[in-house]
Amino acid sequence: MRDLFANLYSRVVSFFKSTEEIGEQTKEVARNRLKLVLMQDRTNLTPAVLERMRGELINLLSKYVELDKELLELNFEQEGDQMALMLSIPVVRAKTEEEIQKAIQEDEALKNVALADDEDEDDEEGVKEETDENSEENEEESSEDIEEENSEESEAEEGEEVKQEEETSEETKEEGVNEGVNEGVNEEPKKSKKDNESEKE
Amino acid sequence: MTGRVIVITSGKGGVGKTTTSANIGTALAKAGNKVVLIDTDIGLRNLDLLLGLENRIVYTIVDVVEERCKLKQALVKDKKNPNLALLAAAQTRDKSAVTQDQLKEICEELKKKYDFILLDCPAGIEQGFQNAVAGATEAIVVTTPEMSAVRDADRIIGLLEAKEEIESYKLLLNRVRPNLIKENDMMSVEDVVEILSCKLIGIIPEDTGIITSTNKGEPIVNVEKSLAGQAYRNVAQRIMGEDVPFLELDKQENPIIAKIKDIFAKLKGKV
Repeated sequence: MRDLFANLYSRVVSFFKSTEEIGEQTKEVARNRLKLVLMQDRTNLTPAVLERMRGELINLLSKYVELDKELLELNFEQEGDQMALMLSIPVVRAKTEEEIQKAIQEDEALKNVALADDEDEDDEEGVKEETDENSEENEEESSEDIEEENSEESEAEEGEEVKQEEETSEETKEEGVNEGVNEGVNEEPKKSKKDNESEKE
Repeated sequence: MTGRVIVITSGKGGVGKTTTSANIGTALAKAGNKVVLIDTDIGLRNLDLLLGLENRIVYTIVDVVEERCKLKQALVKDKKNPNLALLAAAQTRDKSAVTQDQLKEICEELKKKYDFILLDCPAGIEQGFQNAVAGATEAIVVTTPEMSAVRDADRIIGLLEAKEEIESYKLLLNRVRPNLIKENDMMSVEDVVEILSCKLIGIIPEDTGIITSTNKGEPIVNVEKSLAGQAYRNVAQRIMGEDVPFLELDKQENPIIAKIKDIFAKLKGKV
């Protein structure tokens, strides 16, 4: 009887000990490392590419807000079947209208220079559109409108992304449906044959 | 300088090739040698994870072979030990991405600057194994005291003997559980050595510390107190030509169980 209790006691204690030691200390580390690595594997985005993406995002966002570049986080997160790119932007302060205007104009100027450099026939239309936009801006459109435009654009882009994801999920569904249909088709002739046979009988 | 090229292989998967590579490599580097670890498991790379270097890989061995970068650029230096470098496998390609000759060439190049080049071999006896072995002149066969692992090790030893380039090969017995051996429920070290008739280079006890150290991405040889870590450090010493006695595993008892026994003895005394 005593041995039985002894056995039980040691088992219970060792169970808690082992879960404490292995579980709490390093489990989370392993989980997070593994998640990150799997995202890299699945998306084919190397750390170098991710770093580049981070840099470009910082440049883009810096036009509108002053942000803490060191603390900006860019991570993938899995939500069910879908993958989400989570961006956490620590904002130091919002930029003034003038600063935003200036940044946008500098950016446009850079773009025009780049476009002017490669004067391919195909690009000409693009250049015209760009210059049109510039002239509108030069008429001193209020910056609020521009901000609205931009936010609309970004919203539209997000919408597109969501749509794409939905499309892929629909595709998989459709495949499933097709399979179902095929099976149905395969089964039908058999049934009809049977029916015919029974009719013959 | 001409470095030694050692392949770490097993045939069977999951016996601890990658863990062994990471630990021997780290231990050799800690002892002052210049070491390169090459992950030849293209498409299923994991050595980067065990070393905690997964976020620092920019170029892989496939990039080197396809001349997208220089060999030197693809060598990722270890966080703690500047003597240790990793040449990672590509995750998105397959074993055909690097040929035997290309791997040989890389090893020849590295030999000039490093003391040890360790090749972490993929499981199996197909192309991946053939490629990894082609570059090496020495081999460490990893096995556990289980029937399937020993059988596969025997097959690997047969293949290694047929290779002219392989000058010597030795056995590393991993995940040994002294308690089970004591109860005659596991083949002993002597049994395995006798069956395979192969020289032994190390006996590594089963150790839960391996799990936690893998979680953290830090080889267990960096944990001073760990028994498995000590065993791996000893292996490194033997590779360097020192005569180190094998650990006497059956004298060691699981510290947790020992403590519980202690507590229980005290309780009994009070009752």
